[in-house]
Amino acid sequence: MNRLIALIRREFWENKGAFRTTPLVIGGLCITFLLMSIFTTAHFDNELYTFKEAVRLLASQTAEFRADHGHEVILGSSVFFTGVLAFVVFFYLLGALYDDRKDRSILFWKSLPASDTLTIASKLLSAMVLAPLIFWAIFILTQILMAGIASLMVLSVGENPWTLFLSVINPLKPWGILLVSYLAASIWFLPMYSWLLLVSSFAPRIPLLFAVLPPVVFAILQVWIAFLKTFTFNASLFGLIGEWVANSPAIFSVGVNDGEAMLTLGVPMTGVFDHAPTVANILDRLFSTQMLAGLIVSAVFLAGALWMRHRATDS
Amino acid sequence: MTPIISARGLTKRYGRTVAVDRIDLEIPPGRIVGLIGPNGAGKTSALKAILGLATFDGQLSVMGKDPSRDRAALMEDVCFIADVAVLPRWIRVWQLIDVTEKIHRGFSRETCMEYLAQTKITMDHKVKQLSKGMVAQLHLALVMAIDVKLLVLDEPTLGLDILYRKQFYTSLLNDYFDEQRTILITTHQVEEVEHILTDLIFIQDGKIALNTSMEDVESRYTELMVRPENVEQARNLKPLYERELFGRHIFLYDSVGREQLKTLGELHTPSVADLFVATMKGGKS
Repeated sequence: MNRLIALIRREFWENKGAFRTTPLVIGGLCITFLLMSIFTTAHFDNELYTFKEAVRLLASQTAEFRADHGHEVILGSSVFFTGVLAFVVFFYLLGALYDDRKDRSILFWKSLPASDTLTIASKLLSAMVLAPLIFWAIFILTQILMAGIASLMVLSVGENPWTLFLSVINPLKPWGILLVSYLAASIWFLPMYSWLLLVSSFAPRIPLLFAVLPPVVFAILQVWIAFLKTFTFNASLFGLIGEWVANSPAIFSVGVNDGEAMLTLGVPMTGVFDHAPTVANILDRLFSTQMLAGLIVSAVFLAGALWMRHRATDS
Repeated sequence: MTPIISARGLTKRYGRTVAVDRIDLEIPPGRIVGLIGPNGAGKTSALKAILGLATFDGQLSVMGKDPSRDRAALMEDVCFIADVAVLPRWIRVWQLIDVTEKIHRGFSRETCMEYLAQTKITMDHKVKQLSKGMVAQLHLALVMAIDVKLLVLDEPTLGLDILYRKQFYTSLLNDYFDEQRTILITTHQVEEVEHILTDLIFIQDGKIALNTSMEDVESRYTELMVRPENVEQARNLKPLYERELFGRHIFLYDSVGREQLKTLGELHTPSVADLFVATMKGGKS
């Protein structure tokens, strides 16, 4: 266990830029944009008349309305973080078993009594747990800062931020759902993560190419063969992956429900799962046959990655 | 005494090329063994098999373990430096020490710090900020602070200047080596290691060309700088190898009586380098 923790810390040290600096920069950008918009408003409207009107309008709504929409705003502002997190994890996994082969430091790592299984576990856990946790924590920090700035603004126009939104919105619930959805998405995307690790374990160079090219070629062949047989474009690997992303338990799109926009899990274009962002719907995905099939595929890819890692040296 | 390394018919193939060809080998504890051979002779392939970094055919046991299956367990008792500059470049010295300490049970932070105190390396340095010599010092400090039974060094001083190389071997011999430990070294710079070796293994075309202790080298091999009038006579004694230096003929003999040779010219114990050249050339013809 200590060894696993030591290896995960090593992953953090090596990827500090991606795991920590990146979300900090996004948080900083969010706050900068907020401040910029405040100054822009104040520049053209030095009485802050529009802002006052907006606050008054908000205050006239019921507490329930404010709570519901506050909840949506909190979850909605996570989408940017989630998207960047996906990028970070993608490129992290692609390099995870490749970089140390390229710079030959694999010879040092293999001189330590840590098994290849433990090494791969540390990389997978860094992608599945460490990176999402850091992004999540920095997201919360950003929101607290932004709530602080917004409160000061509300105070400056003579309204009470406590009764307006601070006491009305309970952020713990959306933050909790976001964390659950991050971790669930890590499990959901395990087949893709395992594929990336497998590619990373054997690619002689440019792992990105090796990760993307085979599925693309495979899917094109599938589409072509299906077209020759049926003269229609049926399901292919593209369709499968697209559907997989659409069914993911990560919150990243907006759907329209009864004429009202609301955040959704994945993309609400398939009827397989309920896309409302609730913990029950997240768990529904994790205990599905799709997930089971995905885990079997992951096991095959991971076994391949382990086999390659076992044989890998510097050459 | 159970041998530290024992190989029977150890073979390593890369496609059709045979890098290591049915080697039999036994290395007892408490020795410093030089594994010496020309480029492409199979030294590194043999070492990779011993360290569990490559698959192989034949039987191989390192401290009772099969390296191809139990690399992680084996690394509790084995350390290796596979050439300079394999330390990760992004890591800081304190992080390197930290991760080694957490993963290696036999690591002593105190010992490591003592060695590092003799260098200009600080805890906050990144490996990529260090010169090649300093990286070698760092790696050696790290390795010497780990209590293991077998240390394998594959070209540990390649590209280092003479001062670092001398210092490297001096600390290895004075501070590290004892009767419990075994060191296996491959290097091109034979002259620098010959004084610290207890055993010598020459490897050529994947086969062992010579496997002997240094004491045996002294008693078995004789170099004769022959007087011009005795050249023919000396040649008749079947030297292993013959060369000319400043017009003088030098012959190298295996197991020929010194008393007999003394009458023909000056006698020396051959250097490992000369013995190496003689064995390699002899093996070819």
